[in-house]
Amino acid sequence: MATAASAPANDAARLSSRDEFVAFRSAANDRWSRLWDAKSSVISVGVGSCSIAKGALQVLAECRRLGGDATVRQVACNGACFLEPWVEIKRPNEPPVIYSNIEPGEVQALLTGQLEDRAAGVRAADAHRGIPPLDSLPFFKHQQRIVLANTGIIDPDSIEDAVARGAYSAYFKVLFELTAEEAIAEVTAANLRGRGGAGFPAGIKWESGRKARATPKFVVCNSHEGEPNVYKDRRIHEGDPHRILEGILIACVVCGAERGYNYIGGEYPLAIARFRRAVADAERFGLIGKNILGSGKDVAFRVRTGGGAYICGEGSALMYSIMGVRGQPRTKPPRSVEEGIWKRPTVANNTETLANVPDVILNGGAWYASIGTPKSAGTKLMTVQGALKTMGLVEVPMGTTLGTLVNEIWGGMRDGHRFKGIQTGGVSAGPLTADHFDLPVDFDSLTDVGGMLGSGGFAVFDESVCAVDYARYLTAFNRYESCSKCVPCRLGNPALVEILDRIRFGRGTMDDLVLMERTSKHIIELSLCGLGQVAPAPLLGMMKMYADEFRSHVVDGVCPAGVCPIGGAEAVLAAGD
Amino acid sequence: MSHAVHGEIDLEVVRELVSHLTFSDHQEAQELILAALQEINEHFGWVSPEAAEIVADHLGTTVNRIYGLLTFYADFRTEPRGKHFMLLCHGMSCYVLGSQNLVQDLQDRYGIADGQTTADGELTVQVVNGCLGVCDRAPIVKLDDDFHGNLTPDSLNDAIQRAIAARRANGSPPHGNSSVRAG
Ligand SMILES: Cc1cc2nc3c(=O)[nH]c(=O)nc-3n(C[C@H](O)[C@H](O)[C@H](O)COP(=O)(O)O)c2cc1C
Ligand code: SF4
Ligand code: FES
Repeated sequence: MATAASAPANDAARLSSRDEFVAFRSAANDRWSRLWDAKSSVISVGVGSCSIAKGALQVLAECRRLGGDATVRQVACNGACFLEPWVEIKRPNEPPVIYSNIEPGEVQALLTGQLEDRAAGVRAADAHRGIPPLDSLPFFKHQQRIVLANTGIIDPDSIEDAVARGAYSAYFKVLFELTAEEAIAEVTAANLRGRGGAGFPAGIKWESGRKARATPKFVVCNSHEGEPNVYKDRRIHEGDPHRILEGILIACVVCGAERGYNYIGGEYPLAIARFRRAVADAERFGLIGKNILGSGKDVAFRVRTGGGAYICGEGSALMYSIMGVRGQPRTKPPRSVEEGIWKRPTVANNTETLANVPDVILNGGAWYASIGTPKSAGTKLMTVQGALKTMGLVEVPMGTTLGTLVNEIWGGMRDGHRFKGIQTGGVSAGPLTADHFDLPVDFDSLTDVGGMLGSGGFAVFDESVCAVDYARYLTAFNRYESCSKCVPCRLGNPALVEILDRIRFGRGTMDDLVLMERTSKHIIELSLCGLGQVAPAPLLGMMKMYADEFRSHVVDGVCPAGVCPIGGAEAVLAAGD
Repeated sequence: MSHAVHGEIDLEVVRELVSHLTFSDHQEAQELILAALQEINEHFGWVSPEAAEIVADHLGTTVNRIYGLLTFYADFRTEPRGKHFMLLCHGMSCYVLGSQNLVQDLQDRYGIADGQTTADGELTVQVVNGCLGVCDRAPIVKLDDDFHGNLTPDSLNDAIQRAIAARRANGSPPHGNSSVRAG
């Protein structure tokens, strides 16, 4: 894909003043109302990378072919993977009804009213024809949607849809109504903490960025998402790309950055395509470029994509990757807000962090801070993996309990699977068990017991999973993804995997458990960057939570889950490691 | 998506691809190195030394720097792919539901591990450490353009054999409808 810069500028569409934006917004609002008040039906198909894998594009094509005078539109996945592929039908004088698990061959029956038993919910406050409100389903009931407010509702390729649902109104406010100090004060008052894992307050980072003297300055959105346990940021791109872009542009204006970047994981072609489309449209309408809406402010924009190296999610590695070299972290200080891309001050935030910003600006920091818990304000996107019944991406207030997430929102275990534990914090923390279901999920509560919120990806595992083997999987991930720059991480992680393999093959001893703890300590204390500094945490967590299982491998020569090749010939493993 | 042209790389196409990457200064040119390599890798399935040289010339850098990148970023290949290309997800949903068995079975049955191609040149597998984002159908692979979910070693093998047979039957490069097949 070529850079956005190669798109021809179409000056005809360019909005060159405040008034022209206001007129554009009101035309977009009218268009949106006309769509839903139409005398004919509106058929919307949820098309995301998740539903495309299940045939959503063919369902969309069938709706177009058979839809008659209905308006057929593409929207994105609304987070509810278990309903996919889904089709929403808004008939005249009825609320929109969402039908679940529609195969391409069923569209004819659906459109002629023969699949009413697939109606999962109505998008309205009250039940209709006995179909419950979507928001009353356990999956949606606990959710509060800020970042995902438009996802699955707007056409992600339509800037008019986005603007009708509020896009760029906060940007407008920052351009014309607030000073940079006032805008940052709202972000600070919101207590908006970074969603990329570390939870650092965005307001403080922005303030440092604004105060940095060297120029030019940059803002970069971290949309790398290379962890094996989470799929949230790509879904925001697929569902509401203008929200992310608006957040980045706001950060640019208030920090005085001349250029914004978005670095997107290369594995997510649909996220990249929809985001590039959003950037091209924003450029066309003059929301990016010189003298934006006549404000006298200039912001340029670049999209960059990753190459499948997890380490490039680390802030300094990401910036090296943007600069066209290997993504290997460097020591800090200087921090990126002092020296980032091209050695210039660079404010880096996670996608979800930036996607919250428009609402913080529009509704105020105090409003945002009132959601969630006192120390963890707002909502959090969370994803789940494993054998659960109603899987998908959700947005819940911070502080929702682990048990509510697992057993209500995600529906508990599928038949034939017995819950054993839940891995938290991806490859950077340890597992929790059913004993922890009462804990509120926020930045701090899980850490005390060895877990971590991290980026909000949770992996539930059942009794067919062996704790030793899982620890090997997690450690092998960090071994493979180590950038090899510093010795403790480069040599320490392979050593851990080697010991774990010894144990898996039944040749481990109690001394090996001690050796692993000692080696882990070296890696944690001496590694240069966040990858190495937490790489042994999943192993240590597994050893603590499932101590009996480790002991049974080394003392009794038994793998209770029946996974490990105890007594088998030690082979070089083919694993993705 | 990938055009799965294995083997030869048409250097005229490479020149055409990189010619769209325009830049105003050397910094911007450096920012485009990865983009250029990604386009070539996407288009041909790999990056050849000749293609790397074209990129280096266009963006004012050296082939050595290009190889530094090709060998660091997991998505790049420096050898042609087999006739079929498979991404095998080894993310956490896939792991807890058995993707390790699929990895092992490919080794046993086809003799290939991450990044390798079968001796007959039919199949290349790339094990993905991230998550392919279809976690509710784990374990999952993307074989050419089709997803196959809820896999066991046997159903994965069936999917591979069906893809090979289908290609041989209509003599055309594999391409499909991008939907999850049952097994
Ligand atoms: C190994 C490693 C991988 C990381 N991957 C990501 C990532 O994929 N996305 C992300 O936003 N932050 C990632 N981070 C955290 C970033 O370094 C940084 O803290 C974050 O992007 C800052 O944004 P925030 O304050 O809005 O969270 C990673 C950190 C480490 C050490
Ligand atoms: S800790 Fe690991 S990933 Fe980080 S710089 Fe050192 S070798 Fe690279
Ligand atoms: S972990 Fe394989 S699709 Fe998500």
